[in-house]
Amino acid sequence: MAGQSSAASSRTGNNPFLRAVAALSTLAGWCSAAMIVAAVAITCQMIFVRFVLNQSTVWQTEAVIYLAIAATLVGLPYVQRLRGHVNVDLIPLALSPSARYYMFILTMTLSITMVAIVLFYGYEHWHLAYERNWKSDTIWAVRLWIPYLAIPVGFGLFLLQLIADLVAVLLKIDTPFGLEDV
Amino acid sequence: MDPILLGGIVAVVTILVLFSGVSVALGLLIVSTGFLLIFDGLRSLELIPEILFGKLDNFALLAIPMFIIMGSSIASTRAGADLYEALERWLTRVPGGLVISNLGACALFSAMSGSSPATCAAIGKMGIPEMRKRGYPDGVAAGSIAAGGTLGILIPPSVTMIVYGIATETSIGRLFLAGVIPGLLLVGLFMAWSLYSTWKTGDQQLLSSRVYTWKEKFEILPRVLPFLAIILGVLYAMYGGIATPSETAAVGALLCLLIAVVIYKLWNPKDLWVVLRDSTKESVMIMFIIAAAGVFSYMLSSLFITQSIAEWIGTLDVNRWVLMTFVMLFLLVAGFFLPPVAVILMAAPILLPIITTAGFDPIWFAVVLTINMEIGLISPPVGLNLYVINGIAPDISLKTILKGSLPFVACMVIAIVLLCFFPGIATWLPDVMMGEAV
Repeated sequence: MAGQSSAASSRTGNNPFLRAVAALSTLAGWCSAAMIVAAVAITCQMIFVRFVLNQSTVWQTEAVIYLAIAATLVGLPYVQRLRGHVNVDLIPLALSPSARYYMFILTMTLSITMVAIVLFYGYEHWHLAYERNWKSDTIWAVRLWIPYLAIPVGFGLFLLQLIADLVAVLLKIDTPFGLEDV
Repeated sequence: MDPILLGGIVAVVTILVLFSGVSVALGLLIVSTGFLLIFDGLRSLELIPEILFGKLDNFALLAIPMFIIMGSSIASTRAGADLYEALERWLTRVPGGLVISNLGACALFSAMSGSSPATCAAIGKMGIPEMRKRGYPDGVAAGSIAAGGTLGILIPPSVTMIVYGIATETSIGRLFLAGVIPGLLLVGLFMAWSLYSTWKTGDQQLLSSRVYTWKEKFEILPRVLPFLAIILGVLYAMYGGIATPSETAAVGALLCLLIAVVIYKLWNPKDLWVVLRDSTKESVMIMFIIAAAGVFSYMLSSLFITQSIAEWIGTLDVNRWVLMTFVMLFLLVAGFFLPPVAVILMAAPILLPIITTAGFDPIWFAVVLTINMEIGLISPPVGLNLYVINGIAPDISLKTILKGSLPFVACMVIAIVLLCFFPGIATWLPDVMMGEAV
């Protein structure tokens, strides 16, 4: 089947590394969900302040945007763990189990390299914002290293989860692309 | 290298990478990074985290997780079943009551969820077994729900329309309104086909509905009316100039969660976590694709591919409808393989200049594009809704579901043809409600 996402999460077996990464990713997922709920609550509060109390709002819009960004980036490892990142596995399906195994290693190596690149430059970007004390161009003037922190944290955890997924297949704990051998 | 040729190479590499099983968002990042590295050098990679962050730095995007929470909190309750049961009780005099009720419930549920698989699952869970129990052919039962579910991305609020609005900087409010009449048109066409195919079976009993007492009719209303009130409230807030789509979505999400807790007794923290987990999963997945597509579109523009393709198409001496036919065929094929959000984000930066130069209305195009994506949702090989139905009713073969869905694909093609001849079907309502687009 050419699917998009599978409901099943990646397997960890009894491997302590895989279990630790899974726990970290799940924690990241809770944080991400909490940030989305906080964004809902703050937006409702903003509407109440603006339309019921007839007062102007200062920090809410920016806070909500940064929360949504952080929820997305920090949520990446959890969604990876749940295999929720949509994909099209037409080529893997057409391959024999052994070719599929090597295809998985290739795509995972590419994905890991990609995420490592974003992590590296993301950390540099965050560090620059911290060192130079960049502030947002608004009345709230939030110190930008705070929202930018989501980039290295999110991609760092995402990198760990991708490595764990690769390790799980190499150790035969999980199957490539979550597909069962036919 | 000639940008057009380079564009061709990018297209081929993108298809190969996306079909390799890597996630769509990471695939787009891999392709973008590779081409940026080759043609713009190592320094261009420094910009990637900034572009990723910048693409998400948009208040309008907030509507996506909010509408998703709204949909999944309703989907986790019995609301879908109640909706179709209420419609069945109130539509007793309408021939073919049950299939009509199911399609009507799909349309109403779409107005609350904005997601096709969620609509399909919520209505199908009760609707399909009930239709089969009463003797409807498996193909009609499964096909009508698979097709009815696709309305989720057309009838407002629609996550797909929000993504299109953000990608093309088009008014989301106007896009939502543009989906209303074509959505109703599709519901009408779906109902007409369902009635015809049921009538063709010769079983007259299927076309007649059970008679309900007034007590039965009224006792179900308290479970349905709050949701209808939310739909009306969301529409009023959005078009009454009270709040933006994101703000409205936040209130809608909060109210739907409250209704799920109060009316459907979703007290258990575990059940609530399921709602939040599903919402987080879908939101993060979509938002990551949006961010990655931002890098992809930066790469296309940085290598002058977008501009060159638009210029090249402009120099071609082809009839604009021939051009539109090719655009639609491209969208249709892309929709067969990729989720709507990915198609829109990848194609919009290239297609929009072409479409507007050829004199097509971007709002009208959004509706046509969305219907094309709906076809993809019920067509193989990806056809997400087909698999959702297969999950609900595993004993109906995928072949039967597909065969049952095909006539509904024809209905969608008819709707696209009607929209081409009468663009007002999409543009009239936004023009009347919000004034002519400038």
